[in-house]
Amino acid sequence: MGGISSRSIVRTGLLAGAGSIYISLVGLYTKFADLALVGEQITLGRVLIVAPALVAAYAATRPRIVAGERRSVELRSGVALGAVVGLVGGVVFALSLVFANWFGVDRIREVFVAVTEPLLDFLTFDKGVPAGLPILVGLCAFGGAIGGFARTAPAVIRKPVSLGVLAVLLLGLLQRIIPIMLVELGLEAQGDWLYRPASGLTLAGAAVVFAVAAGADALWNRDGGRTRERVRATVEEAPAARVGLFVAIVAVLAILPLLLGTVISEVLGQVMIYVLLGLGLNIVVGYAGLLDLGYVAFFAFGAYTTGVLTGAFLNTTTGAAEPALSADLNFYVAVWIVALLAAGVGLLIGAPVLRLRGDYLAIVTLGLGEIVSVITASKWAQPLIGGPQGMRGVTKAEVFGFNFQDNPQHFYYLALAFVLLAAFVSWRLSTSRIGRAWNAMREDEQVADAMGISTTKFKLLAFALGGAIGSLGGALFAVSIGSLTPRSFAIFVSITALAVVILGGLGSIPGVLVGALVLIGLPGLLREFEEYRLLIYGGALVAIMILRPQGLIPNVRRSRELEEEEVTQDAWAKDASGEREAAAAVLPGGGLGVEREDIG
Amino acid sequence: MATATDEQVRGAHLGLLERLPWRRIVLILLSIVILAVVAIGAYKTLTLPADERYTATTWKNFIILGLAQGAIIGLIALGYTLVYGILRMINFAHGEVFMFGAFGAFFFADAWEQSGFLDSNPILSMGLLLVIAMLTSIGVAVLLERIAYRPLRNAPRLVPLITAIGASLFLQNTARGFFGAQSRGFGVPAALEGTWTIFGVAVDRIQVVVLLTVIVAVTSLSLFVSRTTTGKSMRAVAADSEIASLMGIRVDRVIVTTFVIGGLLAGIAAVLFAITFESVSFTMGFRPGIAAFTAAVLGGIGSISGAALGGVLLGLLTSLGPALILTGYGIPSSFQLKDAFTFLVLVLVLIFRPGGLLGSGEAEKV
Repeated sequence: MGGISSRSIVRTGLLAGAGSIYISLVGLYTKFADLALVGEQITLGRVLIVAPALVAAYAATRPRIVAGERRSVELRSGVALGAVVGLVGGVVFALSLVFANWFGVDRIREVFVAVTEPLLDFLTFDKGVPAGLPILVGLCAFGGAIGGFARTAPAVIRKPVSLGVLAVLLLGLLQRIIPIMLVELGLEAQGDWLYRPASGLTLAGAAVVFAVAAGADALWNRDGGRTRERVRATVEEAPAARVGLFVAIVAVLAILPLLLGTVISEVLGQVMIYVLLGLGLNIVVGYAGLLDLGYVAFFAFGAYTTGVLTGAFLNTTTGAAEPALSADLNFYVAVWIVALLAAGVGLLIGAPVLRLRGDYLAIVTLGLGEIVSVITASKWAQPLIGGPQGMRGVTKAEVFGFNFQDNPQHFYYLALAFVLLAAFVSWRLSTSRIGRAWNAMREDEQVADAMGISTTKFKLLAFALGGAIGSLGGALFAVSIGSLTPRSFAIFVSITALAVVILGGLGSIPGVLVGALVLIGLPGLLREFEEYRLLIYGGALVAIMILRPQGLIPNVRRSRELEEEEVTQDAWAKDASGEREAAAAVLPGGGLGVEREDIG
Repeated sequence: MATATDEQVRGAHLGLLERLPWRRIVLILLSIVILAVVAIGAYKTLTLPADERYTATTWKNFIILGLAQGAIIGLIALGYTLVYGILRMINFAHGEVFMFGAFGAFFFADAWEQSGFLDSNPILSMGLLLVIAMLTSIGVAVLLERIAYRPLRNAPRLVPLITAIGASLFLQNTARGFFGAQSRGFGVPAALEGTWTIFGVAVDRIQVVVLLTVIVAVTSLSLFVSRTTTGKSMRAVAADSEIASLMGIRVDRVIVTTFVIGGLLAGIAAVLFAITFESVSFTMGFRPGIAAFTAAVLGGIGSISGAALGGVLLGLLTSLGPALILTGYGIPSSFQLKDAFTFLVLVLVLIFRPGGLLGSGEAEKV
């Protein structure tokens, strides 16, 4: 069928079934069974029933290289193929339910805690095991057909429809946030019309959202390229236009909290903190190529030093106490001292690990980060920073009578100012001599050394600057929360910051913003996902590294390097692998892996 | 291209050292300071007033506990060292392979504890638990290799490391979703509770079992690697995978075998860890995993006896170190800083002897 072997179809279908079983066991269905997205029928749980088949079918119908020629699957066979993949997946899933029913849900639950009677009821649409299964299988086949359609339909239809569906799902998920936002904007009536009370979108609302998103995308596909070209030409011709563009972006960022309301502004504030962490880590990892897994050290240092310098109190069992060392500075004075000290800490951490490379460096920095978090939580650190109980009362963020702490919208402005500063510094650095030296060092340390770049100096510089920016993130965190406990300074922070940088694209400044919006913004808005946040992070890290290692918004210089490499040095290797892939695609069951053009 | 470049790498390092003599001076000063801190701390601890001092029994317990935990960590460290030797990557998710093994054994131990099988047949049940844990860990390790690592075989070195971190998070939270977030009590056969007196010293039975199992496992592993054909092909791939593949060795198969052996050892370690601490939880893999990596580096990564030795040394250092050194400085609850101590050892080893104790002494791959 469509040039794809039946064995490959069955295998992809089996993987889809395995995906559904995994989702059942990990508890996602139980958790989201009743979360309605659109109307009463389309719940997140049901979307998750469709999803594995959809993804598998999308992968199965990808274009393949046969005898050196790229062959796309036609629309009709794509949909049919996808449906078959979904059908196989659905049958596997249904069989597992039959097994569960026969074996006894209670006995399975002794191992897998998510397997419950309600789960079985949900998956069989309250009809019991044999009766509800055809619906389940049908839904999976339907998902597969959609997956095939999403891959093989002509771009004119595919892109707007996909975007429209995604927009509907996203707005459906944001059901607790958007209505509040609309009320704050005085659009209560529209909110009532768009959303059902304390639930997802109404059918009419979903239709409107879909139409708007799909229409906008269709328009952009038609005229977007031209508009973008015109903007680019104007900017390149007149430097004044560039300034104008920058001012426009800043203006949009500045009025954002007024439009979005307090709830989203609060999340945006958290996003900004991680943008700062990401920008700092980006210097160390993205520019200089030093994988630092202990970045939480700077975050903790920034937060606690801010606390100590602005006269915060220690939490004790009897109330509050003065820290052993305390200053009573204003936040805006303290923060520069914090950054300076953090740069010093960066040098201290950097110096002993100068000779280490790659994964050794990663593990040592991980160790240093863990030392910091163990010490902040220990009784030893009690007199200075509160130990296990932490500190509170980081309050001196007032300037000229304006307090950035008193509401999330104000805090957003404070964070934005720091982010703009850090982004500006990063941008200037990346295009400077220092940036090029880092670049050279990242690509080949020996060669850089031989070309007269002092790797010692530039490594230390990267650690110091990265540390300073990271500590600003910590300082902002201290101000936004007002109290500090060691639980906020675990390895989780390092990993999240790294995930932000990698998702956005190593070395890319807009990438950091996008990465933080996706990884911090989305989970911040979707509190229901809190339990599964790390699971999704982990899966995302693996998937990005395999499918798109350059990130969502790749660094321009880096992607150019990648292209050049493909053209010149690895031309033979590419040819060879192309042939191998072609061979694999011809062989039955071969070529399930990711294809080269996807890796880009 | 490998040999020439390696030669150049070493040359460049020497050059760097010669150009920076202050580095040597700093290192020497640093080591003097560390020795002084350790010596003064130990002296102060040992000369505390009699009522505050640790008794001889406490020290003995520290040592045996350190040995037993170190032995377990050594077993996990072997998994790191084998994979690193062959793929030159840190399998960050190895701690999670270990954790899954513990859960696999837990569910059977739990059922058998209720049915009384655990107490009536301690040897048989412990043997079965070991097999179950091994099979679970092997399954997870092989899946991990197939799904997460194999597609990245020729990627730049940081890419698989980041993947491994992601896989670690993913597996950890999968276990949380599968088995629940709370930690569960692990049953121990009645026959293993209490102590045995060996050479006039009362030793926990579990710790004797742990030490014996580890000795058997490490001996069999080193025999396997040095004597069998599979072991030889593993060493060949570790030495140079390209040449090995030209010699007719199936590199992919050797890599899978390595993950199988790593998983097997992690499974054994998981059961031993679970009966020592009598609990399992989804986070149990992280700290032992890091400690095991430290042990592998301490002993010299890539070296089998190094990993075992590193594990035991690290176990002793972390159980004795905080008590012996930090208590002397009047640091309250010094055991809280145990993990910080582990990492400090790691950092110091990498600074002073990046090749590890049994390694070449050169910072070749560092």
